[in-house]
Amino acid sequence: MSEFQRFLAKRLAISILLTLVAVSVIFVVLRLLPGSPFESLVTAGNLSQQQITEIRAMYGLDQPMWRQYLSYLQSILLFQFGYSILRSQPVWGVLAPRLVNTLILLVPALVTTAVLSSLLGMYVGWNRGSKLEKLSIIATTFLRSTPVFITGILFVIVFAYNLELVPAFGMRSISASPEGYVETFASLDFLHHYILPFTVSVLYYSGDFLLLARNGVVEKRGSEFLKLHRAKGLSEMQQLARAGRNSMLPILTYFALRLGMIFQGLILLEVVFGWPGIGRELVLAIQQQDYPLVQAAVFIMALAVIVANLVADVLYAYFDPTVSTSGGGAA
Amino acid sequence: MSLLDITDLTVTYSTDSGTVHAVNDVSFSIDEGVNYGLAGESGSGKSTLAEAVLGLLPGNGSVESGSIEFNGRDLTGLSERERRDVLWEDIAYIPQSAMDSLDPVMSTGAQIRQAIQTHRNVTDDKARARVRELFEIVGLDPDRIDDYPHEFSGGMRQRVTIAMALALEPDLIIADEPTTGLDVIVQDKIIDKILEIQDRMDSSLLLITHEIGVIAETCDELSILYGGKAMEQGSVDNVLVNPTNPYTMGLKNSFPEIEEGDQDPVSIPGSPPNLSEEPSACVFKDRCPFATEECEASHPDLVDLPNRNHRSACHHVTKAAQMRRDATDPETWGIPDSHDESDRGEVLLETDGLEKYYEQSQPLLDKLRGNDPNYVRAVDGVSLRVRRSEILGIAGESGCGKSTLGETIALLKQPTGGEFVFDGEPYEHYADGNMREFRRKVQIIFQDPFDSLNPRQTVRQLVGEPLTIHDYRTEERERAIVETLEKVGLTPAKKFLDQYPHQLSGGQRQRVAVAKALVLDPDFLICDEPASMLDVSLKVNLLNLLRELADTEDIGIVYISHDLASLVQVSDRLAIMYLGRVIEEGDVESIAAEPKHPYTTSLLAAAPEKDPTVDRDRVLLDGEPPDPVSLPSGCVFAPRCPKAEDACRESEPGLDTVRDGDHRAACYFPDGETPDADGLADDRSDSTYGDPEFSPPASGDSASD
Ligand SMILES: Nc1ncnc2c1ncn2[C@@H]1O[C@H](COP(=O)(O)OP(=O)(O)OP(=O)(O)O)[C@@H](O)[C@H]1O
Ligand code: SF4
Ligand code: SF4
Ligand SMILES: [Mg+2]
Repeated sequence: MSEFQRFLAKRLAISILLTLVAVSVIFVVLRLLPGSPFESLVTAGNLSQQQITEIRAMYGLDQPMWRQYLSYLQSILLFQFGYSILRSQPVWGVLAPRLVNTLILLVPALVTTAVLSSLLGMYVGWNRGSKLEKLSIIATTFLRSTPVFITGILFVIVFAYNLELVPAFGMRSISASPEGYVETFASLDFLHHYILPFTVSVLYYSGDFLLLARNGVVEKRGSEFLKLHRAKGLSEMQQLARAGRNSMLPILTYFALRLGMIFQGLILLEVVFGWPGIGRELVLAIQQQDYPLVQAAVFIMALAVIVANLVADVLYAYFDPTVSTSGGGAA
Repeated sequence: MSLLDITDLTVTYSTDSGTVHAVNDVSFSIDEGVNYGLAGESGSGKSTLAEAVLGLLPGNGSVESGSIEFNGRDLTGLSERERRDVLWEDIAYIPQSAMDSLDPVMSTGAQIRQAIQTHRNVTDDKARARVRELFEIVGLDPDRIDDYPHEFSGGMRQRVTIAMALALEPDLIIADEPTTGLDVIVQDKIIDKILEIQDRMDSSLLLITHEIGVIAETCDELSILYGGKAMEQGSVDNVLVNPTNPYTMGLKNSFPEIEEGDQDPVSIPGSPPNLSEEPSACVFKDRCPFATEECEASHPDLVDLPNRNHRSACHHVTKAAQMRRDATDPETWGIPDSHDESDRGEVLLETDGLEKYYEQSQPLLDKLRGNDPNYVRAVDGVSLRVRRSEILGIAGESGCGKSTLGETIALLKQPTGGEFVFDGEPYEHYADGNMREFRRKVQIIFQDPFDSLNPRQTVRQLVGEPLTIHDYRTEERERAIVETLEKVGLTPAKKFLDQYPHQLSGGQRQRVAVAKALVLDPDFLICDEPASMLDVSLKVNLLNLLRELADTEDIGIVYISHDLASLVQVSDRLAIMYLGRVIEEGDVESIAAEPKHPYTTSLLAAAPEKDPTVDRDRVLLDGEPPDPVSLPSGCVFAPRCPKAEDACRESEPGLDTVRDGDHRAACYFPDGETPDADGLADDRSDSTYGDPEFSPPASGDSASD
């Protein structure tokens, strides 16, 4: 096994362990929460005690804890999330479209902002002290620190209500009823609705990337190796490219981590723009104590974060030749 | 016409606290095929000058006036594009710190290829072939061109930068401290390599260094800079044999040399001048013992001395012979001529058979099988003893484990075996909740000031940080900081308080690192090559400072360095390390005078000689130390030892094998005992070490005229 493979195996093992821990925590926390999804039904008088016992048996809730845990483990790890209690629909059927909606909004936004803001960050870092640098830092820090719904509402007011350029709400016109993903997302109508939330998320994420890239380049700018590059006769742009390459690692890592967090959606943004994403769905499910739904949503989110961490580690090891993949140091 | 003609060059930096006049009216020229040396203390403007020539001045630095003509073309007037064409094609550069001069995320070969392809239109294959060829020339394995910088040691990285400089066979190579921070043996090899190659290519060399010895051995002409002014220049033979400028005399005095131990190093007391104004008086007047009113009035012009290639800037140049005589006397410089053998106090630190092994990582399967892992024996059974008021010098090549030893006795690393007692308490006592106390009493000064100083903190924050951590002298924080800065020669302290590390010269940064350690008034100081970035005079100042601290404050000091010369100057006792063990130990005088172990002998012989008239036989030890994982049986030095015999390979000699009072060595055939010993021992007795400090003025004058 090569050093890298060994490193990979180790990281994988850690990730699997983490997944198990996360899954168990979800299990325990949900069982500890007071109340059960049936309670509301019982109090409403819709169910008799007899029916409750039957339903409990159907869901396996009369089994001892450890049995429940085992079967829970088995199914959740196989992505069998069961039925939503309140919607009588497979959980996947509820979650999948929401997840897709969230991802289709946030992934392109994140990629766009990672590329654009990092490039801008590198550029302003290189031209340190310029007006552009100050302006961009102030602007992005402002955008980053204002809650996203405020920016969102502001944009809605300006672009939707005042200028009436784009619709303020939702993912598509009320009249549209597309079938399937392709029809849904590859339409002008969708694009029309898409632009505003997309822009707001791009701006929201821009600050971190800009600062990371800028700080990286600023730090590298006075470094000895750039001096040698300069002495070799590299042009300004080539030098900037080397400085950028040397500050790539934190950006890449951060990107991977952010990508994992995207699976949680941006709840406030989804609310402001009426975007049917996974964040909103989770909040609803918790309110309604729809355990299977909550369970599945939280599991997907945790898994995404764990996988993203794994990817970040691997990217790091891959792109940084100095990372010792074996760990132990010698004299 | 000369190759490089610098006329009245003035360079300034603009900073928040005003203008720094780093180079003032310096002129010199370098002819084709000539080696030109540039010497001077830290902050004297050497690097600034080199950067001005290369057009590499940082954004806040600018050439105020003067011209830099290269082959008749003024470099200061070139456009960005024209300059890029000159760089590397005509003028190449070997940077000051090889350790961080290579791009960490680009393979070394690719970096050299980049230099080639930026200027020449060649295919990748051709460029690769050239890189292999260059690796071969500088003595690196051509199969390693795809390795990254971190996979090479410091010395090898320096070779990579040399290979890069040679890539296009430039007319002029500017080498800024090419060997700083490398150990003597590697330094010797690198200088040798540069000379050999440069000879073959017939290019000129501008060598910047604070080691006068290196210049004496390698250069034809030199300039001595101080406070941004050229104090003295001319042919090396003239300037170094018969200096006419008090500064050169002082600099030469302070160059540590391995003596019989009977002569103190004479350093120039005081600190470099304030560069915030253009000099109106002689820049050296504050530290010059010969200063008069005339010196107050104006900075002396550089005048030609009659009949030889020699210029000096001093109002009293006519009294040079007299000054030369006086300069050798420490009292002239206001240093009391005393080396009172301080009565050494109680034992502060004692180790017995101390070990630090690193486990090598091994495959999971082997771990599961329970195979014994391999160990790197970084420190392998070291027994030491340091008393109060005593300086113990630890010397050895890079990689011999001396830094690990330092970190282990600082308890930054856990010893894996052996006994450790500090201040009467064993290791367990400190490991068991008393680490804080230990951390205040024992300070370590690190090898690399760049790594240990946070670039985002000001000097005030840096030096004040330990006070906060240890809640020490917090109510008089500012005073403690200022006092300490002044102790380490950063005067006036006020000027430095708000500066960031990148605004300081290499030497100044190092001193900040020292101040950080001293601010807590420790009992015990571990210095890991604190002087590697310092120029000679400041280095001696620091060594003297350590000496003073040891004598007056009653603290014990362990001084770890590859530079045996400075160790000999400062230490009371020496321990020589090789591959994790101490192979010779004893009083400084007796080791310097009569080394017993062949390794010690070769270390002593690798130190450069500052007198250009002395021809030193270089003793280039072959090879590198063996792999510390699979050590040879018997004497670990045997593979490189010129005297090794079969007996050596059978069993390992203990430190007690040779014993002469306090002086012990681990060798079966020690030097100095068998009269028919090989060449190694002879070399050092005939040329290098028998000489007096340097020739007395009278005889020197006649010799060179
Ligand atoms: N970027 C900078 N901004 C402000 N001052 C600077 C800058 N770089 C250097 N200086 C100052 O210019 C003077 C000359 O520095 P320089 O680096 O040329 O010295 P040096 O002779 O190379 O020293 P060393 O031997 O320590 O490398 C010093 O006083 C230093 O503090
Ligand atoms: S001019 Fe005066 S102060 Fe300057 S070096 Fe000469 S004697 Fe010393
Ligand atoms: S014991 Fe032998 S091999 Fe070792 S140093 Fe002495 S002579 Fe050389
Ligand atoms: Mg320098």
